[in-house]
Amino acid sequence: MTILTEAVARLLLAPSLMVAAAILIKGYVDVGDGFAAAVVVSLAIALQYLAFGARRAEQELPVLRFAPQTAIVGLLVALSSGFFAVISGGAPFTHEPSVGARVVRIGRLELMTAVSFDFGIFLLIAGALVALIHHLAEPPELEPDLEEDAEAAR
Amino acid sequence: MTLVFALAAATIFGFGAYLVLTNDLVRVVAGMVLISQSAVLVVIASGLTRGAAPILPTGDERPSDALVQAMALTAIVIGLAVTALLLAIVARVRATLHSLEVRELARDEAEHTAEIEQSQEPQLEELDRDEAEDEQ
Amino acid sequence: MTALVLALVLPWAVGALLLLADGRRRRWGWTAVAAVAANLAALVVLAVKVLPDGHETVVTGGWEGGIGIVVRADALGVTFALLSSFVVLAALVHEVLDGVRSRTFPALVVLLCTGLTGLFLTGDVFNFYVFFELAMISAYVLTAYGDDRHQLGAALIFAVVNLVGSFLFLIAVAAMYHVTGTLSMEQVAERMAGVEPNAAILIAVTFFVAFGTKLGLFPFHFWLPAVYAGTRPAVAAILSGALANIGAYGLLRFGAGLLPEELELGSTVLIVIGSASVIYGALLAVSRRDPAEMLAYSSIGQAGYVLVALGLGGPVGLAAAVLYAILNALSKALLFLSGALRGALVAGAFAVGALSLAGMPPAAGFLGKLALFHTGVEEGSVALIVLLFCGGALAFVYAFQLYQHEFWRGSRVKAGTGLEEAAAASAKELAAGRELPIAGGAAGSDVAAEPAASPVAVRAVSVVLALIVLALGLWPEPLLSLSSDAAAVLHGGAR
Repeated sequence: MTILTEAVARLLLAPSLMVAAAILIKGYVDVGDGFAAAVVVSLAIALQYLAFGARRAEQELPVLRFAPQTAIVGLLVALSSGFFAVISGGAPFTHEPSVGARVVRIGRLELMTAVSFDFGIFLLIAGALVALIHHLAEPPELEPDLEEDAEAAR
Repeated sequence: MTLVFALAAATIFGFGAYLVLTNDLVRVVAGMVLISQSAVLVVIASGLTRGAAPILPTGDERPSDALVQAMALTAIVIGLAVTALLLAIVARVRATLHSLEVRELARDEAEHTAEIEQSQEPQLEELDRDEAEDEQ
Repeated sequence: MTALVLALVLPWAVGALLLLADGRRRRWGWTAVAAVAANLAALVVLAVKVLPDGHETVVTGGWEGGIGIVVRADALGVTFALLSSFVVLAALVHEVLDGVRSRTFPALVVLLCTGLTGLFLTGDVFNFYVFFELAMISAYVLTAYGDDRHQLGAALIFAVVNLVGSFLFLIAVAAMYHVTGTLSMEQVAERMAGVEPNAAILIAVTFFVAFGTKLGLFPFHFWLPAVYAGTRPAVAAILSGALANIGAYGLLRFGAGLLPEELELGSTVLIVIGSASVIYGALLAVSRRDPAEMLAYSSIGQAGYVLVALGLGGPVGLAAAVLYAILNALSKALLFLSGALRGALVAGAFAVGALSLAGMPPAAGFLGKLALFHTGVEEGSVALIVLLFCGGALAFVYAFQLYQHEFWRGSRVKAGTGLEEAAAASAKELAAGRELPIAGGAAGSDVAAEPAASPVAVRAVSVVLALIVLALGLWPEPLLSLSSDAAAVLHGGAR
């Protein structure tokens, strides 16, 4: 890739993450949600992979290696915010705190199950997409790796 | 309006089906993406209503149908997951066969089947001979 | 309600966690087994509550029905969920004992079980699609499982064909929503009667094509043999014993439950297509040598019987369809699991499966054939009775051809002289209680390629499955009442 793409990729990363955060947070009063935010994040990361190649991108942003784990944590967050109401006898996906109850706020963001659910979705989608990009950018060398793993398993 | 949507969905489905039948695996995946998008279009068309935003409908105006949005979004996400899966399979095909052609894939499979049949053939013949001897 | 929610959430969460672990390690394999077993236990609790004619409903978010998503367990759904969960458990235990070969296998199987449980227990048409895709996506990945790279082609074809089927299903769901304005199955069943016939028939046909593809019925079957023939036995057992239930259940729920008028209108077509499947599948199965391929073609034929029973309709026909689907799933799982094994008792287990497939007493498959026969006599249809005889005879031929190929000839070569000696040799191994590959090799003096006896524990799974099939054949009342309860849900629409 050219110097220009590298420079653009480097410059665009931080603003894209900001935009994603904005989309995620304002989703409860305006257009936006976790899914869209996650897609923006993964687009920004895809650009990094394109510009620097898989190895260098992951050297510079080591957090990318934890994409699968992020996705699964996200799924569990979403599942638990959907189903924790069941413990207290409510139906699954009950909105907590219920209508009219006092809500904890951080700035203008109201903390409720819809937010934590959406945050879980954000992590899930972002993690899954980055894992996919990683897989497509650098297809795993299957055979030697598998043998190593099999030995480790024993 | 429904007719426009129906025509668009049909056209997209047609293009998708055409791409699925081509020889290039990446095009096959692209065809599946198109087909999934045509399904999303049908979902949107299934509940076209005009009205107020369906959040706490208090005014006199009828709210629009929110369900369609939810369904379309879910269908898009599932389409995304499926595309990812297909791309992953195609990447593995490329890693093992060093080719992205459906024909290559079919040829490889045919060879494999022929190999298996050949390896079974002598064994079976031997068995038949054994059986004939036994009968005598 | 707790059982219902638990059956949904538990395998889902465990499956997600297992994705992180290395599934080839024994303990993760057993964790997966525990999750599926817990799911099965929750389903049993649910079944006890729901049967014979109750139902349990949970609406998400505590909304009124019609707004929230309805999760609903009734006799039909619970029956199929139990069956699928059981088959998945058997296949998973088999594979874990035999040694899992890929990191993700246990996680995928648990997620597939989640999808199946979800789709059998949902009362919402769109939610059905979501769980359906969860199960199917796991299945696409599972078909690529194994060491064989040639499997990739089959996995790709399987994925593409079934995805087209899934999107057709989605289009049909959208169309159904367009004409009825609701997604809840209960309301759809009520409102479908007032829908313009043309639109209703189009929707019914689209659903039929979508489920026909899943089930592998005659004109939509082309993907099936390649997939079944190349996968590991455990995956083939899951595909034919659990995943194919989606097709049977879908045809029952959407055909007989939601679109009964259209089903009646198309009954002739269903019977013709079903008969074609029966004959085509049986004929091709007879002509195949590879056991997996033979069983794959036989699946096409067995799916035909379900369709014929559905086409005949009425309480008796629907009960026969449910019964046949259950028995076919059990015997197919048994045949796929035991077909790849060697050693004492396995041949017996396989023979039970073969008898069940051919519909001979005392194996349970007999009940299915008998129910169909009963339906045929009741309808006074000579053609159906002839079809049953021909199909049964052909099934007998291919099932025992397979048995002979796999076990008699194999043991003859192995022991050099006769069957008894081979059996005695295997019995000694069994008595030793351990896997003795060297002893097995020594028994077969000249044939190096002859596989050694499989581990005792793996064989035990097949034997237990065979005993269940036999027990169901000898004491059929519970199964018969279960299937008629399940069919009663459909009769006169989804209650």
